Amino acid sequence: MTVINIRGEAIDQTWRDVDGAGETDSLDSAVLSLTSLKEHIEALDQKSLSRIGARLTIDDNIKEVADSAKHLGLIELVFSHFKDGRPFSTAVMLRRDYGFKGELRASGDILPDQALFLIRCGFSTIAVPQQFSVEQFRAALSAYSVAYQAGSDDQLELVSDLRRSAVEVAAE
Amino acid sequence: MYVYDTLDKSLLNQRVAEFRDQVRRRLAGELTEDQFKPLRLMNGLYLQLHAYMLRVAIPYGALSSDQMRKLAYIAETYDRGYGHFTTRQNIQYNWIELSTAPDLLFDLSEIDLHAIQTSGNCIRNVTADPYAGAAADELDDPRVWSEIIRQWSTFHPEFSYLPRKFKIAVTGSDADRAAIKFHDIGLKIIRSDAGELGFAVYVGGGQGRTPIVAPLINSFLPAKDLLRYLDAVLRIYNLHGRRDNIYKARIKILVKSLGVDSFASQVDTEFARLDPALFVIEDGELSRIRDMFAVSYSRAEGDDEARLEESPEMRRWSDSNTHAHKTPGYAIATISLKPIGGVPGDATAEQMYAIADLADRFSFGEVRVTYTQNLVLPHVRQADLFVLWSELERLGLATPNIGLATDIIACPGLDYCSLANARSIPISQRISERFSDLESQHDIGPLDIRISGCINACGHHHAGHIGILGVDKKGEERYQLTLGGQGNGESAVGKIVGPGFDEDGIVDAVENVISTYLNVRSAGEPFSETLERTGHAPFKERLYDRN
Repeated sequence: MTVINIRGEAIDQTWRDVDGAGETDSLDSAVLSLTSLKEHIEALDQKSLSRIGARLTIDDNIKEVADSAKHLGLIELVFSHFKDGRPFSTAVMLRRDYGFKGELRASGDILPDQALFLIRCGFSTIAVPQQFSVEQFRAALSAYSVAYQAGSDDQLELVSDLRRSAVEVAAE
Repeated sequence: MYVYDTLDKSLLNQRVAEFRDQVRRRLAGELTEDQFKPLRLMNGLYLQLHAYMLRVAIPYGALSSDQMRKLAYIAETYDRGYGHFTTRQNIQYNWIELSTAPDLLFDLSEIDLHAIQTSGNCIRNVTADPYAGAAADELDDPRVWSEIIRQWSTFHPEFSYLPRKFKIAVTGSDADRAAIKFHDIGLKIIRSDAGELGFAVYVGGGQGRTPIVAPLINSFLPAKDLLRYLDAVLRIYNLHGRRDNIYKARIKILVKSLGVDSFASQVDTEFARLDPALFVIEDGELSRIRDMFAVSYSRAEGDDEARLEESPEMRRWSDSNTHAHKTPGYAIATISLKPIGGVPGDATAEQMYAIADLADRFSFGEVRVTYTQNLVLPHVRQADLFVLWSELERLGLATPNIGLATDIIACPGLDYCSLANARSIPISQRISERFSDLESQHDIGPLDIRISGCINACGHHHAGHIGILGVDKKGEERYQLTLGGQGNGESAVGKIVGPGFDEDGIVDAVENVISTYLNVRSAGEPFSETLERTGHAPFKERLYDRN
């Protein structure tokens, strides 16, 4: 599976799938399900959390690990179907409400045509589904140059900013 | 009129290019139909019974004359010479090819038109009072706020894959000509006691199989908080709206299941959490938009007197098809797209060109589309009304029936729509012919007949004084009759009277309802008030009396 960043470049994968692993010291760079994470969470300090990832399915509730969420190194939100847009809102809440600064990854059933929306909602990486190519995602990421509404990102210039600066230039 | 700046234009051009590539990928097999479907829907393209249908957005129902000419050109070039104005204040073309749809959208974009978010599970094209900026009873121009909402909702990264479609409507007057309480969010412009501009916010209205008049969830939202509040409502809906059952996925079901108070408090909590800085509506932007809608009225001596005396026909048209304007010497004129026996909302390319010319001559180049499927020239000098009427008469567009029995709303029905169970258009044509006599229509008075060909209720039958719903009963088209709905002003959902009728029976049934009304009404009492007073009983007796 290829993972891309906000510019559509493939990045090296350091996270590993080790769900069900028992010992805390083997969890370095591990991506856990919400259930596993909850089992381990008591024993983990901030530093260990930063080396752990959580994979949330569509029905998982991030609130269950609310206090720890922002210290995690990676949160992966899995799209069950590309038409189920709940992860867009979950991503926005993770960035705005939980102050999550780590890698926020979208995976599962995603279309290239959704790539820009994902980044604008605060996702920082996307797992490219088998059926599509990195190039298709990269092309979709550059389909638009401006946006009407503020996002959780700096990917696009905002129409409101550009209009304001045009007025300021005109006034000078 | 709002005119696109270079930023609006570049976004639109990028959208056209994106869609062209999506169609290419679909035709090349890079996208499955399942994947392509939501993408084409968000560009207004449906697959119907016989062909693709394209629904073009007309933001808040406002068109320039040049845009109207482009719609005529599209009808000639890509369709069969006509278009269909709908209850969403937009226009649909029924005979579109997928392969040329990208060219069509390119042509539209040249005049700032598009089909963005006219379908799909996203925030749909915002609708508003068609008399906006002209009506005497208006508190503030709803187009200004609708345009703010248009921009905020266009390509919204978070709210484009909602549980279901999401419709927002805005009105600035008590008369509510936008039926806001039948929308997912209805916004009514109001002033607080302190004089601050804001909105009464209604959430969770809708028609379909669960008709609900939206409850009030916020009695005063300051205007500056509009986008922040909409964001909160949409996030609660996106996260918690049902996705397991398409018939229970609209926000009305969520509001109903949580209860109004609980829903409102969830929205308030989310609202409080949001950073106001992300949702600022700048004064500069507001006045930029407001200025574009301004019209410079000119007045001449004698303008206040329309030349009504010159013709009784003209007087009748003026009585039913014009409305009070906020500026002395002007009137709002409605062009009926309901000729007797015609297809409600249909206009030919020739008619559209002619209406565009009339808009240039008489109405500052502005045309509006009403959800009742008519067109409006919003700013006509009283002194020009006679000439306007004569021109409309010549074009066959002067039917004096606005708000009367033959001003029927009808969805496309089984003649076009893949969802329909029964035909709507032929029923409306037959009812129209039955009540063609203008004297008797004017005698009957205000009467709102609405027909839907299936429970999705695109013909707004729930909100008609007389509502007709087409159903499929063991392979036969049957028609249910509802009475007592209300679309404008105070909204209400009609109630089914009794067993349904066949095609002939429903036309007779409508006649029976009307003649019962004529028998039992008090002097000057409109249909809806008579019904309120008498209830269904006298109507039911007449309709189902087997003797």
